[in-house]
Amino acid sequence: MKISEARPYVVERLKYALNPRSIAVVGASRYPTKVGNKVVAELMEWGYKGTIYPVNPRAKEVLGLQAYPTLRDIGKEVDLVFVAVPAHLVRSILEDAVAIKAKVAVVATSAFKEIGRGDLQNALTEYCRRNELPLIGPNLVGMGSPYDHFNCGFIPYLPVPGPIAMISQSGANLLAALGTSQEEHLGMSFFVGLGNKADVDFAEFIEYADQDPRTKVISIYIEGLDSPEAFVKSCRKARKPVVAIKVGGSKIGVKAAFAHTASENPEGDDYYDRVISEARAYRARMWQEFLDVSLALGYQPPLKGDNVVMITNGGGAALLSCDHFERLGMPLRELKDISPLLAAKIRAYMPMFGSPLNPVDISGTAGVIQYKGAFQQAFRDPNVDGVLGAICPTAVTDVIGVAKAAVEVYRSTRELGKPFLMICQGGGECREAIRLLRDAGIPAYLTAEQAVTAMVALRKAGK
Amino acid sequence: MGKSYRIGTPEAQEYMRQYRNAPKGLSSFEPGVIASDAKEVVAFNIAKSFYQVHPEVLNLRLVEEKTGIKPEEARKRLLRMYQEKRFMLVKNSAVNVSGFALYYWAVKLREDTTPEERKDLMEWFQENDQICTGYMMEEGGDFAVWNGNHMRNLDNLIYGVLDKFRFRRCVEWVHVCPIRRLLRESSVNQFDALPDRYRRYTLTEEAEKRIAALKRGVDEKDLDILGTLNRAPSGADLFDYEALARLSGLEPKEMEKDFRYAVDEARVMIPMLYLNYASLGLKQRFYLVSLFENTPTFREDEIGDELEKDDRFVNIFEISDAHHAFLLSSYEGIEDGEDIRRKLLSYGEVKEVLVATSPRQFRRWTCRLDERLYEECVFTDDVLLDRSEEASHEDQ
Repeated sequence: MKISEARPYVVERLKYALNPRSIAVVGASRYPTKVGNKVVAELMEWGYKGTIYPVNPRAKEVLGLQAYPTLRDIGKEVDLVFVAVPAHLVRSILEDAVAIKAKVAVVATSAFKEIGRGDLQNALTEYCRRNELPLIGPNLVGMGSPYDHFNCGFIPYLPVPGPIAMISQSGANLLAALGTSQEEHLGMSFFVGLGNKADVDFAEFIEYADQDPRTKVISIYIEGLDSPEAFVKSCRKARKPVVAIKVGGSKIGVKAAFAHTASENPEGDDYYDRVISEARAYRARMWQEFLDVSLALGYQPPLKGDNVVMITNGGGAALLSCDHFERLGMPLRELKDISPLLAAKIRAYMPMFGSPLNPVDISGTAGVIQYKGAFQQAFRDPNVDGVLGAICPTAVTDVIGVAKAAVEVYRSTRELGKPFLMICQGGGECREAIRLLRDAGIPAYLTAEQAVTAMVALRKAGK
Repeated sequence: MGKSYRIGTPEAQEYMRQYRNAPKGLSSFEPGVIASDAKEVVAFNIAKSFYQVHPEVLNLRLVEEKTGIKPEEARKRLLRMYQEKRFMLVKNSAVNVSGFALYYWAVKLREDTTPEERKDLMEWFQENDQICTGYMMEEGGDFAVWNGNHMRNLDNLIYGVLDKFRFRRCVEWVHVCPIRRLLRESSVNQFDALPDRYRRYTLTEEAEKRIAALKRGVDEKDLDILGTLNRAPSGADLFDYEALARLSGLEPKEMEKDFRYAVDEARVMIPMLYLNYASLGLKQRFYLVSLFENTPTFREDEIGDELEKDDRFVNIFEISDAHHAFLLSSYEGIEDGEDIRRKLLSYGEVKEVLVATSPRQFRRWTCRLDERLYEECVFTDDVLLDRSEEASHEDQ
């Protein structure tokens, strides 16, 4: 339901959704194949430190924890009420949640507005708003934070810790991002599925994420904006960059978005272009771009000028990058035009057949020493605004060694505030190098285009 | 798509004239079928989730009207009875309408079965999610188990359930008993009783008095409450729709109208209050009846209708294509078991009556009855599964 701006009481309470001291899981089943059982099991398995109260009128015990027939029977303070029962039971549970003064309610249950029960969803939302009980969902997958070992919902894994606040309307895509995080070390501060976002809206999570010290970038997957005004206000208020992907703009996608999360999209895609632009957020068009740009904005400072120097041992990656920079309206400049002195100095780190143009090709024979020297020279040059490195795994390339050298240089030059991105295109050792680099805070990508897109996004953020 | 024949309407007769056999439902796609989570049956689903702590979802005004027991007292008694596991709100679904067959099976164990083998097998039955209803018999009877489930595919029963236990050393025989008519279950007449006998509650007042006299956790008032609700004129009268509305936020009149249609017109579901006999220390004596092979089908049906008139039976299943023709049960010590056996043997068509006594029920239509997971409703639907394929993977 529409809000005109983020409500302070909601923003204040969201800390209980992401770092609760106690959780009541309503619908906590004793049976291991049922979702209500999984919620409790996952909380325990991932090391949640707070108190868990399973609620199940049929059970005395769930997974070794005392079970309670209703929320009212718990008799202790409950921060988060997680609801995993059929839709027709939710009203009574929300009444109990209000009665026990729970801080926030999360409703995972489906079968509300997305199947035509808009009136019921609205009635529940109005009830929660009257009683100032923030309701997240319904129809969502869950939320959590790797920093607090908190994984609440139907989510099989936690992401690796990092700077991205992942706020997604889609559970499936949230899970995809979490899986990518685990495999490819896309670090997250917290994650949440919003589902139908009947009550708590994007705007409130944006403001919460802006206050969250672990979050450096706010990444939002949108199927529909019920409250564009609030969204714009909160994004503009945020001191941190916002990356948004808005889907469901195609003819059939409009219908699919309603069936999925009850998102109504009467306006065309141009409308969302305008809204996101007005919000001063970065609009990603494709999923990979969304993740790549989030990673860059999360770890790196904005690019303050157009002078990007690319250092590579492979001409192919260089050419792909040149073309893509130009395609995106930010062509690379020749090194001599950026800094004649640097062009001369960097010669020391390449064989005679290398190219000091820009991209700087330090050749396929380049080792750790050459990479390290070239990176250091580039960073230290006052005319250089950012550095893009690329590793091509030739038979003589020590991929992991170069990645470690890049980390060393990055750590010693970080205070200069210049962004550093890497391309590692190749096989298993490149994937390992990507993880190593990302763990150190350097956004690294498998393809040149991904890295260039991310660098251009950093430039947009720097303007 | 051509003409659609809607189940539960005269179109079903039209279908039979055209195709000469009864229409068989195919899950929720068949015209007229109501899915278990459909809006038409939401009243039951709400009540099933709340009656444990909100027994006022049951029609306590009807209880007061018929018995004089005030709603608050009835509420307290129902709460206590639930906490002591004396009863459970359950449903029977007209599974044949949804395209399932009811397959039961009787198991006889070898005489030299060890206590460990027996215990292990019984726990296997308890834990198997493909068994939706099952009874364990005491040692020394003519058979040891009466189990069943609703399945769509006979191969799934063989590969997924029977093959998993019938080759154990202790198993002497397994007789598959497809149910031809479900006449009575838990003292409530079912979908295949004659139309004017549908939903009749058969636990007599005399039987109730005898059960109460045992003083094992329920008294006459308790049984009056359960009996009144089970005798409600319609299955839809079991609930208080205002109470359901308060808890769910749904519209009471619409819920009631929908549910009346589902239970009275479409007859896809019978809600009832199940008496958990094992929690009262009661046992059921089971009679597995065989008819001579040359008994005509109509005569078997007639015998079934005659047995249905006997209120002493708690369960009555009519079986087809099997060694046996009927499975019946009655409460031991409440009814005269020998008299029942004599009655059954008085039929000239009856070839044999096997007898066994059950002190324990594993599940009641998917709801578990064991202490550990009481009322956990679990069943593995076989609709989209090919258990023979799974079995072949296991072999590899």
